[in-house]
This record gives sequence, structure tokens and C-alpha cells, in this order.
Amino acid sequence: MTEKTVLQVNDLKKYFDKPKLTKAVDGISFSVKQGQIVGVLGPNGAGKTTTIQMLLGVSTPTSGTISYFGKNFTGKETDIKQMINFSSAYANLPFRMTVWENLDIYARIYAVKNRKERIKHLLDSFGVANLAKKRMIQLSAGQKTRVMLAKSFLNWPKIILLDEPTASLDPEIADQVRKFLLNQQKSYQVTILITSHNMKEVEELCDNIIFLHHGKILASGSAKQLLKKFNMGKLKLEDLFLKITRGEYENI
Amino acid sequence: MKIYRIWAVIVRHLYNMKHSWDKLSDSFYWPAMDLILWGLTSLYFASQKGSVSNIVMILLTGLIFWQVIWRSQYEITVSLLEELWSRNVVNLFASPLTVDEWLVAVLILGVIKMLVTILFVFLLTWFFYTINLMNSFGFFLLPIFGLLLISGWWIGLIVAGLILRFGTQVQTLAWSGVYLLAPFSAIYYPVSQLPGWAQIISKFVPASYLFEAARTILKTGIIPYDQLGISLFINIGYLLLATIFFKRSFTAAKNVGLAGLDEG
Repeated sequence: MTEKTVLQVNDLKKYFDKPKLTKAVDGISFSVKQGQIVGVLGPNGAGKTTTIQMLLGVSTPTSGTISYFGKNFTGKETDIKQMINFSSAYANLPFRMTVWENLDIYARIYAVKNRKERIKHLLDSFGVANLAKKRMIQLSAGQKTRVMLAKSFLNWPKIILLDEPTASLDPEIADQVRKFLLNQQKSYQVTILITSHNMKEVEELCDNIIFLHHGKILASGSAKQLLKKFNMGKLKLEDLFLKITRGEYENI
Repeated sequence: MKIYRIWAVIVRHLYNMKHSWDKLSDSFYWPAMDLILWGLTSLYFASQKGSVSNIVMILLTGLIFWQVIWRSQYEITVSLLEELWSRNVVNLFASPLTVDEWLVAVLILGVIKMLVTILFVFLLTWFFYTINLMNSFGFFLLPIFGLLLISGWWIGLIVAGLILRFGTQVQTLAWSGVYLLAPFSAIYYPVSQLPGWAQIISKFVPASYLFEAARTILKTGIIPYDQLGISLFINIGYLLLATIFFKRSFTAAKNVGLAGLDEG
């Protein structure tokens, strides 16, 4: 695995002044190397989704910088967005259109070559090939999630941002998705930044974990390093997450 | 700006149309109903003693020209609302698609749909009333339609900008916003019929010059270049201002986070 930095975030802040001043993200800095899978964890309101939205360019930071592949995101957004993609529980695809039509539109936007083959391959990979002609409105939550994941891999992204990608999947399908992600990481060194509330999943997938709390990075490192740092003994990452959520590490 | 991304947005809305036959009512049903009701009413008025000459032509021209403004503004605002309703805004603008490309795509889409509607309305006018507007306006229909189209665009951009700032809670403006200008546009009556204060407002509404010009052409056959020129001048100014407002609204929406729009 090379040590090339794919994503560099420096002192990133996002403040909202209405209805009252809220520091959603408060000066976070981190970097992600090529081929890494990095988990962003934290309780609700920790700033995970706001961070991802700024990394996607759909929310403007109050201050700080984001660089992809050594280039400042501001001013190079269109070129950089061609190389990234995402899937989020907060976004959806037009519900009147079919699965195939939706993927076709995004394949056109990303200028994917041989888009029919690419769409077919991804639908097969996520086990939703039989849904190609179904309208989005006819799909279950789990099926929609898999279609969104297929969309997020359309353009062979160099880095992919996943906001709770397996939240609505049953354990069997969630396992298949994790295997697919690991396979993509191995086969073409895709870098993945993932938020999840499933600690087992994070332990299984992530090389590195960033713990966010009240918009700040509370700790970062591998699962083992984090458990050691917080003297968790034989306890699991989930126990650490619960302790953080309950405010036991407020003053760190 | 990449043509393939603009085309992708157009294809997206064409796919959507394929599954939304109910929306064809906007393109065909309502214009047809308006045309039949107003046409028959004006035929009745025309048959009365002392009626205004050319009343059928005046009313039908007003109706058809208003369709151009209404459709072109509607296409911009409803295309934006479609993305909000389906929570697709983040998907779109997290992709390489720029807001300029999206805007060009919906403007083109508006022209295509407007042309289809107008062609349909022309055929109906000829079929029901044996009236061919080309006989009265000739090729001056093209610049008049162009100016009406620009009027629809800047109104659409202002309404879309408001939707970006305030979300779907102001979505009703997509249907009703344009009607604020209708009384001052003098669609079916001369500006002189308006009260004094309203006549002053109508001077700042470029469509009023176009409807006045249309009536002048119908009554005298003379092309009022001055009125078309004033309309062009004001329309271009408003279009520039509306574009700036729309783009600033997009920036403001990004400051709050586009995901907020998806959440309604």
C-alpha cells in the first residue's frame, strides 16, 4: 500500500449562526492515505454528516481547507468531484424513474465509458440486477441503499464517502456489501471514508478511526490503538462509543 | 461547461416525463381548456352589436403569449422542485455537475416543452377557429416569442432563487408567482385600462410592451419597434439581475448546506 495522501483536511470549521450559534464542526484536521478505509464515528450531532457534506462540496465551510490529491478543493471542485463519489442515507434518487434510468443519468454526468456494462456489473455486484426496471418508489429501504451504493461506484472513484451505508440492510446483505467494499479496496485501492453506528462493521472494515464529539476530534487511530488509549481492557469499540456518547470523556 | 452533463440533466427530465403522464396536463390539457373557453367566450362577444373589432384574435393572442411566459418560468421552478421532492439535490451537486450546467439544461428543456405546447395550441386555434397567427404576425412572432421566453426565464430564476433560500415552504410560488405580474402585463386589455398607479408599475413590466405591441399589430398591421426595443432592454436587465439573484441564492443554500433543501 502506498503512502500517498488522498484527502487532507486542515482546521475545518462549520458554524451555524441561526437560530443560535452552533459549532457543528469545530476545527478538525486529519488526512487519509490511498487505499485506506477510515471510519468517522460519533454520536448523533457530533458533526459526521456535516463533515461529509463539506467534503462533498454541498456545504461551504466557515473556515479551513480541504485538499484532494494535493489540490485545494475550492476552485477545483468540478475536476475533483469527477474522481470522488458518495452514498448517503440522507439523499435519494428520483422516485418516479427506474433504477436503470437513475444509474444511466449519473453514468452520463460522470462520463462513464461503456456505461451499460458498468451499470450491469454494479447491479450484479450489489444483487439488484433484477430490480433494473423497477421504479425507485417500488423499492424497499434496503434495495434503495444498494442502488445508491451502485451509483457511488459508477465512476471508478478514487475516494468514496459513505454515510451509514449499511444502516437499512439485513445482516446477510450488509455482510455482502462489506465484502464488496473490501474487494474494491484490494482490487483498485479505492479509498473509503465511512460513517457508521455499527461498531462491529467499523472494526472489521476500518484501518483507521476518527472519533468526533461536539464537532471536534476526540481521538483517532486504529481500533486497537483507541481501545488501548482509553484503557478499555477487554471491552469492545462499542463500549468505548457508549462511554463517549454518555459524556464520560467530555474533558479530554 | 460540458455538453454531456447538460444533456444528462435534459435526459433525466425526459425520463421523468415518461413516467409522469399526469404532467402532460400542464402541456396540453390546461392550454386546450383555456383556448376553448376563451375562444368561445370571445366568439360570443364578437357576435354582439358594438363589439370590439378583432376581439377573438386579441383574446387568443393574449392567451397564447401568456402560455409562453408561464411555461418557461414553470419549467425552471418545477425542475428544481422535482430535485427537492425526490431528495436528489445532494446527489446532483456532489457530482461534477455545476449549477450553471443545470441551469442551461432546464432553460433548454423549457424551450423544448414550450415549443411543443405552442405548436399544439396553434393547431387547436386553427382547428377550432380557423385562425392562423402567422397570417397576422408573420415572422415577428419569433422575436416576440423570444422576448416572452426571456420574461418567463427571469421570473423563473427569481422564484427558483426564493425556493433555494426558503425551501419547499414557498413552493406554491412555482404556480402562483408569475400571476403577480399578470394584471400589470395587460394581457387582454390595454395598459390605459389600468388605474394610474398600476400603469406606472406596468411600465417596468417588459411583458406589457409585448402585449401592447401584439394588439397594435393586430389592429394596424404596423410593427411597433419602439415597444419591442423597450421590452428587450428591460428584459435583458432583469435577466441579468435574476441570474445574479439565483446564483447568490445557490451560494446561500450551500452555506446552510444543500442537504437541508432535500430535507424540505
